[in-house]
Amino acid sequence: MTRESFLNPVEDSVPKVDDEIAVGEDLDFQRRWWRFEKLVWTVFLIVIVCDLAGLFGRGWLAKAEASTPDRALIVDYERIERANTPSTMTLRFGPAAIRNGHVQFHVSDAVVRDLGAQRIAPQPSTSTPGRGGISYVVPVTAAPAAVQIQLQPAAPGRYTFKIQLADAAPITRRVLVLP
Amino acid sequence: MDTILRATAGYFILLLVVRVLARRAGSQMTLFEFVLVFLIGGVIILATLGPDRSVTNCTCAVIAVASLHRFVSWAKSRSPRIGAIVDGTPIVIVQGGEWREDVLKGMGVRREGVVAAARMHGIGSSSDIQYAVLERNGGITVMTRS
Repeated sequence: MTRESFLNPVEDSVPKVDDEIAVGEDLDFQRRWWRFEKLVWTVFLIVIVCDLAGLFGRGWLAKAEASTPDRALIVDYERIERANTPSTMTLRFGPAAIRNGHVQFHVSDAVVRDLGAQRIAPQPSTSTPGRGGISYVVPVTAAPAAVQIQLQPAAPGRYTFKIQLADAAPITRRVLVLP
Repeated sequence: MDTILRATAGYFILLLVVRVLARRAGSQMTLFEFVLVFLIGGVIILATLGPDRSVTNCTCAVIAVASLHRFVSWAKSRSPRIGAIVDGTPIVIVQGGEWREDVLKGMGVRREGVVAAARMHGIGSSSDIQYAVLERNGGITVMTRS
């Protein structure tokens, strides 16, 4: 393999153009660089398309929905989050979830600790820690009803959260938090 | 720790983006390019500092970026290959009075830009240009027929 001309120190050995002008040009290196630039711009274009589609969060592909079989609880969340960026998880309750004017649900610690739950709206009437999470009771008049949890993950990673209505099977999902 | 990592990522991302942009962004900066540089710089600052706007964090970020820059400068001085990757190499645009169209296209340089550089050298006609070299810093050196 020939030694690239730009490796030569800047002195009389600097490659001359037409044996006249000492420039130190290396057209082979430059052509390789142009190919690299094309590759980089292709990657940039892919990044933009992925971002527009929501593959890096905050978009169509990032939004997800999970529900219990009877749709008593529907969770709207983002499967791809970004660290230190606010987002909202919405819990929608059907008629089967409402008992005696209340809904009672349990969220795992991951929602608070890993996904960084900042606040819950409306304010629950009771919040009880235990069973690896927090149980909330929220007064509800009639279905449909919704509770919103404001999230702001502190650190990147892959986290599993659980949300469960009282006496029902839990909804378990994973969230990827990007840096 | 996070700040240092973010500053390192920000520095190299910025270095790559500026490097793959047209070389003339360096010395012949237009108002349009000023907007670009300030906007990119501002966005990188947000990502580097994160939610922590404390003096401690800002100081650490500044020191980290300065150290990285010093390190890259040292690496450039030790290795011409790294110098070529970071800064590029001079490239001849006009050779013996002939325009190198592939270089013009590849570098995104217009003939008008070269002629403008020639005027700054007191050369009135493009036919008088014997050699034109796009330098590492984005400047264009023009030589006439002797």
